[in-house]
Amino acid sequence: MKHTLHSVVFGLFLASTAAIADDMPTFRLLMKDGRILPETLEVPANTRFRLEVKNEGPGATEFESLELKKELVLAPGVTRTTVFAPMKPGTYKFFDDFHPETGQGRIVAK
Amino acid sequence: MGNAFFVVWRESLEAFLIAGILYAWLQGNDSSGKGKRALYIGLAAGVGLALLLGWALLTVQDELTGNALEAFQIGTLLVAAGLITQMVLWMRKNGRQMKARLHADLAAAAEKSGFFGVAVVAALAVAREGAETVIFLYGMSQEGDYSALIGGALAGFAAAGATAWLAAKSLARLNIALLLRLSSILLLVLASALFVAAIDRLIGAGWLTPMLDPVWDTSLLIDDTTKAGKLLADFSGYRARPALTTLLAWAGYWLLVVIGYRRTRP
Repeated sequence: MKHTLHSVVFGLFLASTAAIADDMPTFRLLMKDGRILPETLEVPANTRFRLEVKNEGPGATEFESLELKKELVLAPGVTRTTVFAPMKPGTYKFFDDFHPETGQGRIVAK
Repeated sequence: MGNAFFVVWRESLEAFLIAGILYAWLQGNDSSGKGKRALYIGLAAGVGLALLLGWALLTVQDELTGNALEAFQIGTLLVAAGLITQMVLWMRKNGRQMKARLHADLAAAAEKSGFFGVAVVAALAVAREGAETVIFLYGMSQEGDYSALIGGALAGFAAAGATAWLAAKSLARLNIALLLRLSSILLLVLASALFVAAIDRLIGAGWLTPMLDPVWDTSLLIDDTTKAGKLLADFSGYRARPALTTLLAWAGYWLLVVIGYRRTRP
């Protein structure tokens, strides 16, 4: 049991370092004043990519998408990155869960 | 102000609901007062944990710590789902026994481990969403919008408390058997939603294969990106576009619960 746990932890570590090591394309997203810039983000389909989300504030934001299965809480001034698995072509919605009225966006995989 | 109210209400509702249901159940089943004390200790510990986790969320910037935090949050989701499920089964087994106090020794031992479970479940419920509330409120204080912060946040907390209080009161009004059944179902549905969220986030982080994604799309029927749809997703595990892995995990969860339920006849 302990052994399995160790290998799982080690595997996670490897996976996370591997994700940093290779040079996959990086896309940037800005969250500001309850808005998302750009609201439509075009990414290549069937390709792993990294998304860098920056919250310029003034309030906190939560980048969230049930469809993309991602959830990132960002205090003002914080930048977080997350890696997306290759996506099929299509449109995927995401939103700022702390500003649901104004913070709506979508990722278009082409 | 309206937004602060809604966000705080939604984020704290889960914790208040769990606390309310536990309180109602303990009210009906435990006259010693130990269970309620365990509940209060758990809630207080949860607030401390929420502040700690909120602070961690404030300071993460790089991807490695981001991944570690993601793993930790998924871990708390899984532990919370597992513990709530186990606690419901424990409640079912011990509900009448504790009331009748027939086997004093046996009940005392079961009581001890059970109350510890109550405390941990309460602590995790507060800590999980509480950390996000901490970040949200911190952000608002940075905005310098104190009237909205205090007005909206307090109203949100109060409304979540009132919602849970209403639920607990209506539960407590029922007879014991019905109270036990209804609160069990509510807690199990909530646990299944936490489990689904954990599986989804494992897929999202690339640590689990989705297999087939999505299996279907019911967003025309109930769209989980709307306010109400998201609420339904958070509390019941509903997904408009579920991945096959998530669907299997959900079905597996309920299968295990039904088996566990059959085995723990009171």
